[in-house]
Amino acid sequence: MAKAGDIVKIKTIKEELKGTLLPSLDPSLLLLKLESGYNIGISKKEVQQLRVEGKAKLEAFPSLKAKQKNLPGISLIVTGGTISSRLDYKTGAVKWLSKPEELLAVAPGMLNIVNVKKIEVPFLIGSENMVPKNWIKIAKIAAKLLNKKENKGIIITHGTDTLHYTAAALSFMLKNLNKTVILTYSQRSLDRGSSDALLNLTCSAHASLSDIAEVMLVGHATSQDNYCFAMRGTKVRKMHTSRRDTFRPINELPIAKIDEQGKINIINKEFKRRDEKKRVQVDATFSDKIALLKYYPGADPDILNYYINKRYKGIIVEMLGLGHLATSESEMNWLPLIKKAINKGIIICAAPQTIYGRLDPYVYSTGREIQASGVIYLEDMLPEVAYVKLGWLLGHRYSKEKIKELMLKNIAGELNKKISEKAFLY
Amino acid sequence: MDYKKLGFKCGIEIHQQLDSSKLFCECPSELRQDKPDIIVRRKQYAAAGETGEIDVAAAFEAAKGKEFIYEAYSDSNCLVELDEEPPHALNEETLKIALQIALLLNAKPLTVTQVMRKTVIDGSNTSGFQRTLLVARDGWVKTASGKIRIATICLEEDAARIIKKDKRSVTFRLDRLGIPLIEIATTPDIKDPEQAKEVALAIGEILRATKIKRGIGTIRQDVNVSIVRGARSEIKGVQEPALITKTIEREVSRQSELIKQGKKVEPSVRKANPDASTAFLRPLPGAARMYPETDLPLVKLNRKLIIELKRGLPKVKTRADILAELKKKGLHEELAKIVLSESKLAQFDKLVREKISPTLATKILCLYPKEIASHEKMPAEEVKKKIDKALPEIIQALKQKKISETEVKKIMTDLVKGKKIELKKLKKEKISEKEIEKTIKQLIKEKPGLSTKAYMGLLMQKYKDRIEGKKLFEILKKLLIL
Repeated sequence: MAKAGDIVKIKTIKEELKGTLLPSLDPSLLLLKLESGYNIGISKKEVQQLRVEGKAKLEAFPSLKAKQKNLPGISLIVTGGTISSRLDYKTGAVKWLSKPEELLAVAPGMLNIVNVKKIEVPFLIGSENMVPKNWIKIAKIAAKLLNKKENKGIIITHGTDTLHYTAAALSFMLKNLNKTVILTYSQRSLDRGSSDALLNLTCSAHASLSDIAEVMLVGHATSQDNYCFAMRGTKVRKMHTSRRDTFRPINELPIAKIDEQGKINIINKEFKRRDEKKRVQVDATFSDKIALLKYYPGADPDILNYYINKRYKGIIVEMLGLGHLATSESEMNWLPLIKKAINKGIIICAAPQTIYGRLDPYVYSTGREIQASGVIYLEDMLPEVAYVKLGWLLGHRYSKEKIKELMLKNIAGELNKKISEKAFLY
Repeated sequence: MDYKKLGFKCGIEIHQQLDSSKLFCECPSELRQDKPDIIVRRKQYAAAGETGEIDVAAAFEAAKGKEFIYEAYSDSNCLVELDEEPPHALNEETLKIALQIALLLNAKPLTVTQVMRKTVIDGSNTSGFQRTLLVARDGWVKTASGKIRIATICLEEDAARIIKKDKRSVTFRLDRLGIPLIEIATTPDIKDPEQAKEVALAIGEILRATKIKRGIGTIRQDVNVSIVRGARSEIKGVQEPALITKTIEREVSRQSELIKQGKKVEPSVRKANPDASTAFLRPLPGAARMYPETDLPLVKLNRKLIIELKRGLPKVKTRADILAELKKKGLHEELAKIVLSESKLAQFDKLVREKISPTLATKILCLYPKEIASHEKMPAEEVKKKIDKALPEIIQALKQKKISETEVKKIMTDLVKGKKIELKKLKKEKISEKEIEKTIKQLIKEKPGLSTKAYMGLLMQKYKDRIEGKKLFEILKKLLIL
């Protein structure tokens, strides 16, 4: 039997073809790479003869070793995502980089800025497949690396879909942060010359040496390849399905602007400074049975019965406007079931589905009614961050009252009492 | 010359823009001259796709690389051209046009094909690659000197248009990026330079029957030539079929000469010049890296569609058909032949649609430029370029009767000589027939008994170029008879 990667000669009713067999997702088709480089499909039914003539040589992807230079050291944690995947030119399949050093080949300029001491690869997965357990694992490795003298900071590469969840998780889980933690990504795969990974990695390298001891997401500030923003891990969100500058700071300004040459412009002075005498403590825990629920017109409150029956411990509800959903005036009144859930011990919090802005239960009677039922209004906290924070808090042996209190206490920059006029659509 | 003895090997490749919206998005396929409102600066890294370990120093150089500045319009470009959104589904209308052309070229459409990414590193594609797909293979086209086989018919995206270039950056405009192009490649079995021209003309006839873009820059002809002991030259952008023969002849002599001198002929990519010479561009690259466009599904060309297209194929007009049509429009046969041989049909049709008489259109497009060039002793190419640039304004002025037919050549000459004529500012002068009659009557009364010729002389002096002599003469004759 011929396999993908075999050089074959095929005779069909119409013609004779030579090429390399490729993996085909459609079982009725043979996918063939012709000598011209074009791929074509041939219906298996039409094939009269197939002869294997040899094996195609697979191409190696370039890789770079860390340069031995007198540069400050950092370490990398590679977790997967577009920034860790590449296309196999011969077969056309998308694969994970086989060596983490292949990532450095994309941004060789990085090796003029930092000395990459260690590259840890705890797992390689698309970020849509991540679960809280993965955050815990990253947090533990990050803490270990941050407590090593050789590292000035760390860079974590990650898929974009849930990058802002991981950023929030690390913000809570890494306590007493001493150095810089950068998370970065790419929206365009590494096989294309236009990949955004180049600028993101270069700016991340500069940022990792900065004076800012925070968990930050670094990525394209605009559609252009000129500079990146460093955004607080709890105040950032993926806001576009495909653009390079998909990650935007929400409800606050980015901490800094970093250009390719390494110029760092501080935009938001609210950050902790590097203190290498400190030791990072890992506080990595997460409770299961937390839900993130979006309210919409016509939503049936009966969904809460599901969570009650499944013994959920906390629910973040993405509410409308200033923090509203249908109450006593509506035929879909949510209040009775919200009260029932709270009575059963479920912590229910409200977060803004408008993404931008702060909740306020006092402006309308609806809000007052909801708050009176025991729902916690999370101010300007992002719904995704609220989900991570609640799960993290519930992973501790805190009392329910303590958790409710901590949800409204700023721990990692997730709550911002003063929102700048400029922070909207920044 | 005995081309067989020379071991002459030649194939041609024709790139023609199709007349539909872009290949992978819904943006219009139109080039714009107004100021773009979007400027995006990007870099591309050349390290992509190199094999094996790469030299660190070289990689650093690549990283420092050139800046690409992309200009775009917010109302006629979208995120796809800016490489900020995955490609949309393959434009079905375009695919149909391509299949029509394939069928007219007797080629066999594929059953299943895949959109490929062809690596491009010069920045002319925002993505770093050009999307292309093989549509059909193995066709043929008939010429007077026999059938020539068509190897492949591909559908591909046109590249961005280069606007400016300096040491540190290249500026491209995205209006052209993504315009559908059909690429027709013959097998390298063209026998001699004359046959190469015939093939190009025959393919041109077929293309004209389908929905293609017309005018300057919408078709590009590349020629591949080699002789024994010589090397393959890929000659890019031969302007018109008429130039193909000469260009190939000169390339063959160039290679022969080098061989005679005992020099090595290097395989190269060369640029075709308007005088049929060629200039070295770069060494011939290896096969471009091609890998699948992972953002798009396989393209299935179902039998039903092909059968449907076969039934409705447009009729291909031969040279004789077109000559007959031109004659029917009132063009003298000799002029019609000139229009055809200079491949000015598209521009001719456009002028006629603008209500320019067929004869004047031919003069403007074919005769005047040559006459002016020889009279002013200027290179024909330069004259043509200057005239092409001013043509829309001249036509506008003609339509608005700001200038008369008799003035066109003089204005063209002035323009070519660098005189600044602001046609837009010319006043629309319309002297009514009544006024002219009044003037003529007055003249006859004042100076009775002069000859018609003498009256005409006086009148022409008075009106200069403002009224056509022919018209004046008619009115004068009418009044004299009275």
